Amino acid sequence: MTAMRVERAPGSTAVSRPESGSWQSFDVPLAFFAIALAVIGLLMAWTNSTGGPLDPGSTFTRGLMWFAIAIVAFSVAAAFDYRWLRTFAWAIYLVSIGLLIMTLIIGVTINGAQRWVSVGGITFQFSELSKVAMIAVLAAFLARRQDNLGSVWTLVGAGLLIAPAFVLVMIQPDLGTALVFVSILIGALFISGASLRWMALAAAAVIASLPVGWSLLREYQQQRILSFLDPASDPQGAGFQVIQSQIAIGSGGLFGRGLTNGSQTGADFLPVQSTDFAFAVLLEELGFIGGLVVFLLFVGLIWRILVIGWRSESVFGVAFAGGLAAMVIFQMLVNAGMVAGMMPVTGIPLPFITHGGGSLVSIAIGLGVMQSISIRRARPGW
Amino acid sequence: MNDYVLGQPQPPRMSLGARFAAFGLVVAIVVGLLTTRIFYLQVVQGGYYAGLAEENRQQTQPIRSARGLIYDRAGRPLAINIPSYVVRIRPADLPFGQRDAVVERLSSLLHVPATDIIESLDRYASLRFELVRIASDVPSDVARIIVEESRSLPGVEVDVEERRQYEYGALVSHVLGYTGAVTAEDLLELEEIGYLNDDQIGKTGVEATFEEELRGAYGSEQVERDSGGRVVRTVQILDDPQPGTSLELTLDIEVQQEAEEALRWATEVVDLQRGVVIVMNPQTGEILALVSLPNYDNNLFARGISNTDYQALVEDPNRPLVNFALSEQYPPGSTYKLVTAVGALEDGLVNPSTVLETGPFLEIGTYKYWEWNRRGFGPLDISGGFAHSSDTFFYQLAGGLGIDRLAHWATEFGFGQRTGVDLPAEARGIVPTNEWKQSVFGQDVFPGEVYQAGIGQGYDAATPLQVLNSFNALANGGSLLKPQIVRRVLAPDGSVVRSFQPELIRQLGVSPDTLRTMRLAAHEVVTSGHTYNLNDLPLVVAGKTGTAEFGLRDSQGRLPFHSWFAAFVPQFGPDQPGDPAQTDSELAIVAFAYDSNTKGNAATEIVKYFLQDHYDLGVDLTRPDLLQRGNFYGGH
Repeated sequence: MTAMRVERAPGSTAVSRPESGSWQSFDVPLAFFAIALAVIGLLMAWTNSTGGPLDPGSTFTRGLMWFAIAIVAFSVAAAFDYRWLRTFAWAIYLVSIGLLIMTLIIGVTINGAQRWVSVGGITFQFSELSKVAMIAVLAAFLARRQDNLGSVWTLVGAGLLIAPAFVLVMIQPDLGTALVFVSILIGALFISGASLRWMALAAAAVIASLPVGWSLLREYQQQRILSFLDPASDPQGAGFQVIQSQIAIGSGGLFGRGLTNGSQTGADFLPVQSTDFAFAVLLEELGFIGGLVVFLLFVGLIWRILVIGWRSESVFGVAFAGGLAAMVIFQMLVNAGMVAGMMPVTGIPLPFITHGGGSLVSIAIGLGVMQSISIRRARPGW
Repeated sequence: MNDYVLGQPQPPRMSLGARFAAFGLVVAIVVGLLTTRIFYLQVVQGGYYAGLAEENRQQTQPIRSARGLIYDRAGRPLAINIPSYVVRIRPADLPFGQRDAVVERLSSLLHVPATDIIESLDRYASLRFELVRIASDVPSDVARIIVEESRSLPGVEVDVEERRQYEYGALVSHVLGYTGAVTAEDLLELEEIGYLNDDQIGKTGVEATFEEELRGAYGSEQVERDSGGRVVRTVQILDDPQPGTSLELTLDIEVQQEAEEALRWATEVVDLQRGVVIVMNPQTGEILALVSLPNYDNNLFARGISNTDYQALVEDPNRPLVNFALSEQYPPGSTYKLVTAVGALEDGLVNPSTVLETGPFLEIGTYKYWEWNRRGFGPLDISGGFAHSSDTFFYQLAGGLGIDRLAHWATEFGFGQRTGVDLPAEARGIVPTNEWKQSVFGQDVFPGEVYQAGIGQGYDAATPLQVLNSFNALANGGSLLKPQIVRRVLAPDGSVVRSFQPELIRQLGVSPDTLRTMRLAAHEVVTSGHTYNLNDLPLVVAGKTGTAEFGLRDSQGRLPFHSWFAAFVPQFGPDQPGDPAQTDSELAIVAFAYDSNTKGNAATEIVKYFLQDHYDLGVDLTRPDLLQRGNFYGGH
């Protein structure tokens, strides 16, 4: 047995590094990519503020407020020893399920889905926070089962853990967020070493059972899913948004029209530009180059997340990194894909770029936990 | 057991690295896919989409032209344009959740029932980006409140728009008509000639018949819009709008006022429900006054009439929206004896000195055709027959002419055909012939019906305008002229675009002598005492009364009747009285009192009142003794 460092759970006597960790191990590139993306997000908030960007309540001022809250959330999460998350896992789990239930009870219905909770005039999506909570809970669960990761029961357990949250957001209905939970599940399981055979089998089983499940759905539920898959059939005009979005992107060209010069978006052609279609505005105003920069920043961010996970040498760290990276890449695929007309229209935000406090705070907490993992990592250097 | 031992060269550890690599590969594929797609859209197809974006943003939209004004013959404005506030809603900008609150607030501000607002919104449910008009002519203080509350009234827009104002309202409503919003059905045809969804169009009156002149030509401009359809800026003006031309009517508002006053006075004295007075210049066919009562305030329509007001007008049993001067036809009664007399003279049935016996009745089989006074007048020549309006005299003439010759002469005088006046919904009237009766009833006209046709009863039907026009032809010496309502069409700078000249329908195939005889006979109507109450006017008047029975007999066996009087006034000077033998009359008038229910002829009273007022004869119009002597209360 080659001598390698051993990391213990909190409370264990064999500790290789101080509990407090070292801020010298703070991952600067991760913070850089995150802040760069957040600043671009703020620029988009500026350009999308109809009226004065500095008016109270404008998209930009609200963006600034959430930016500040996100910095605090990030710092607190980074300072907090992530290993405690394993202890709090059940509490976090119950609280996030509770918030999702509360959303269903007191939530505000916007565009036909009950996803938002309004507190003091600010609407907030608890499902955003529950994403990062589910990553933590899943990572804790997998860490606990680290000796039996290849077992089929790991898969079953992880699936059962996600199931309540999945069902609760489906009821809203928010198929998009439900699929984010699935992507987190797959990402975390895959990267932490779950049995590929069982995962493939489970995937095959799910696909095979789709027709059966479909027939069990009521007609209106089927309609809802169909309109998700085929926005052109959506009477709310999602098809219109997709076309306008493509026109906006296309007219941006290589270098874009410059900030605030978007013809489409500046003239309000994209009805939900400030939310789900913010990336379309970015592509129009900053062009292909701007989009490429954003993609590269995301690639950098995911790279740092995976590196920190790898270096953590802990199942929790690996699984958390896998879940978080899967969430980011999945949301990128769905949101940017939707904006570019490759994916159906859903309410899935592009992290940092889409204006929305929940999404930003959620990703900030996730990255904060990554920093906490980095600071308290087992393996130096790299 | 809880510790996770890493770094051992065991399969799971190796697999972990591969998994990280695989994960990285997935990320690379996703980002590569998205980058390719965006590169395709932005760089490869960029020019195409940039073009679409321009198109999206810039649109051509019409510029409305100012509607032409309407003046009377003296240049007094009758219809003008004034700015007014309109409130409209763009349904796309009104979130469904706020709809009830917004509708309720607008309802209380605008005093429009909430159901009306919702109905308007739902009517255009499929056009969510099109503006829907909620209220027109909104008071400026209310408009200001709505603008101030715009934050809580999403989708609600206040615009300034020109609307019609009718300076004299009801007085000339039957001539001017009114403008209103184009209907969806009309728009199917009108859209291609440039009418807009939210456009105004002349609905009736000269506003409708001269729509093309008044409207002008809309221009167009290129504007930049946002997605809500709001105009951000004007890029360029493509076509300047051409303002509509203005109309100068033949109407003289002072004469119109006199005519209405006379008719209104009668409606009050004898509780008349409907009536008509038309004043024309027989030399030119120009209509100087055209009054049909009841009338309506066309400003109600210009302001955007409420459902309640509109229903009230439609449901009024006296139908104030109908122009009785030309849109309805009635038995012309004895005024029609002009036709019978001229026909008999021209066809050589009688000459001016032929004398016929008149008695209490004429008999066909067992059926009696009565003289109107049930006694007869003894021997009469044609002037006497006309002056006394002897029915039995004219039964004989009609019987001698036969229905088809009678119809020939009626047609000659313009009956049974539209005069062609430039006002909408003109009725044709009926001149019965054998052919006509065959086609309608499948049988020939009976001999008794020929009698009735000769005195303007039975199947005969005419509009007041037709009756007056036949007397115009008599007065001017045989020219049947098209009645004119518009004198000149004026460009916005005041220059004359078009001037209406007297338009001859036909020169009557009647000898001047016959017409002269009948003019003198018409004067004798007044002087002989049949229409004695006009005789005390210091004025030479010639005319013919008519009492046209219609409907069902009352308990005493009497039929209800309309009163007619058609007259003309030969030219006169301070020292020179008018001469009915001449063809120089410049004023002809018809009065029609629907269901007049008076002992005498109400129409003559109306004409008398008008003439005293019009010629300023210095008589106190309301003097009770004048009234007492009038046909309203006495006479036979």
